[in-house]
Amino acid sequence: MNNLLKKLKKANKFSFFSFWILFLLYIGAFLADFISPYPYDCQYRQYSLCPPTKIHFIDKNGKFHLRPFIYGIKVINPYFNEYEIDYSKIYPIRFFVKVPERKIFGRIKFGICLFRVEDEGKIFLFGTDIHGRDIFSRILYGARISLSIGIIGVCISFLLGLLIGGISGYFGGKLDTFLMRIVEIIMVFPGFYLMLALRASFPLNLSSIEIYLLIVVILSFIGWASLARIIRGMVLSIKEEEYILASRALGLSSFRIIIRHILPNTFSYSITALTLSIPGYILGESALSILGLGIQEPYPSWGNMLSSAIGNLKILTTAPWMLIPGFFIFLTIICFNFLGDGLRTVFDPKNW
Amino acid sequence: MEKILEIKNLIVSFKIREKKVKILRGVDLSIEKNEVVSLAGESGSGKTLTGLSVIKLLPKNAFFENGEIYIDGENILEFSEIEMEKIRGEKIGMIFQEPSSYLNPVYTVGNQVEEAIKGKINKKEKKEKVIQIFKEVGLKENVYFKYPHQLSGGMQQRVLISIALINNPYLLIADEVTTALDVTTAIQIIELLKNLINKFKLSVLFITHDISLAKIFSHKIAVMYSGEIVEIGPIQKIFENPLHPYTENLISCLPEKYKKGDKLKTIPGNIPDFENLPSGCSFHPRCYYKKEICLTNQPGKTQIEERFVRCFKYGNIVENRKS
Repeated sequence: MNNLLKKLKKANKFSFFSFWILFLLYIGAFLADFISPYPYDCQYRQYSLCPPTKIHFIDKNGKFHLRPFIYGIKVINPYFNEYEIDYSKIYPIRFFVKVPERKIFGRIKFGICLFRVEDEGKIFLFGTDIHGRDIFSRILYGARISLSIGIIGVCISFLLGLLIGGISGYFGGKLDTFLMRIVEIIMVFPGFYLMLALRASFPLNLSSIEIYLLIVVILSFIGWASLARIIRGMVLSIKEEEYILASRALGLSSFRIIIRHILPNTFSYSITALTLSIPGYILGESALSILGLGIQEPYPSWGNMLSSAIGNLKILTTAPWMLIPGFFIFLTIICFNFLGDGLRTVFDPKNW
Repeated sequence: MEKILEIKNLIVSFKIREKKVKILRGVDLSIEKNEVVSLAGESGSGKTLTGLSVIKLLPKNAFFENGEIYIDGENILEFSEIEMEKIRGEKIGMIFQEPSSYLNPVYTVGNQVEEAIKGKINKKEKKEKVIQIFKEVGLKENVYFKYPHQLSGGMQQRVLISIALINNPYLLIADEVTTALDVTTAIQIIELLKNLINKFKLSVLFITHDISLAKIFSHKIAVMYSGEIVEIGPIQKIFENPLHPYTENLISCLPEKYKKGDKLKTIPGNIPDFENLPSGCSFHPRCYYKKEICLTNQPGKTQIEERFVRCFKYGNIVENRKS
């Protein structure tokens, strides 16, 4: 792992940074229960669409505080969501606060939160949404869905694509024809409509976990076909290489030759394809969520947070911080793209 | 003597544009224990195909039409693919002509040699075994962690040799092992093979187009011409007194017999096209000893002492084969 990182750093600085950004995002998602100041479904109705809270070190009188603090929020007009900073109230930010009701992954009791202010003050780093929920916390919880959906989905479709492409290319003949026709059948449908049709064939009133699994399966079912097709093409040319003949002369079985000798030779392509397709899954989930077919409220995903933002034009103009989930989608996608680029260099032994 | 390999009347054909073209036209060959047999001939005479037939790995459009191949007394042409997988690597090792393209570029060479080991042993023992064989073939220990493209051609060939030998096979097929190497490396590899053959007590089918290489360590030589073995016998005798006109020509082409300033001899003409072979003896268009019978009939196997030759110069045995 360490070695891989060193190579990555040497290969491409951007991809090295991307790796660490993604690493932080995943850590954030994993430790959401610890980092987020509020639970994802905690509503503060009186603070609907509150702008992001500013953190201060120096107060109005020019006095420096070692401990960062925030000012209180004064509600001017609750119907038009107008707020003002209340300079009379100062809430210092406290770290490692005890929160007795907090649980990790909804199971294990873990009563500590990374940072919080005293109860009357509210810290909304990225502002709040229309129900007065803290967007920062919801982004952390939403990352659990949005970041894992890509990885799990890609793993499934990658496995299917590599295996089916590999078998189809290596054995050829009738098996090849049969498998490739299946691939074509999946490919002729526009991906988005196929996704909608598949989702529509399942009931709407499912639990969040069920919907999550369903989306993963649907997305990976669509994703494997094009990968299988390209892998098959590559296998067709790789299997004619002499080292494949040599490994057959060693008495290796066909399955082992496919797994050990042919597929690794497609990795310089497929690793890139893999990282490049992760964004597709994140976006796919967002697309379903925007149409209300994805993860259901109150559980957050970046997609459904963004969808609640762009569903209302007024919100877009008055509360642009609602678009922050979109920025995270963008950041993740671009990082995965850079990472894929770097990994391709790393996995090509000719570069070392 | 125990026969390790015996090929009887092997006929292999290619399907070319819906047409059946015979490439190997009845090859008979046998290798005894600890014997090195060279298979010599021009490019396109079917040497490599003979080698591949022995491990039953023909190109896709080729198929066995007739014949038997006995390895250790068993006819492998009746074996299933799964049974063949057991034989390949374990009983028969094969070394190929272009070492760089026969190594997988994505794995370290140590990894690839390890993979060839048959039987279940743990990782540490595997590595020890690999390093042991690396010593035998004259490679340093650190080669274990190198990728194929980081090695020179000679080193790559040594790696291939260690892959072929790691399971102690008793038959080694060496297919033009020195073709891709320069002359000094080639000699080193040949010397190495010579030592290893003695040490591992191998029987070897040494495929080459350079009969001077064959002379270095083989016991027997088989000369191939357009899919047939035209002459086979002990190497010393063949070099002293070649029987078949083709062998005679080949040997007279060797540069060692010439004085400085002499013009090198060549054999006029080319190897015939398999799709339309000349009638009768396939060598007759290039042969200085041409009789009428050569134009119409195929010469059969004629035995002279321990040698076999297919030529009408030594009798009138005609091959009864449908062509």
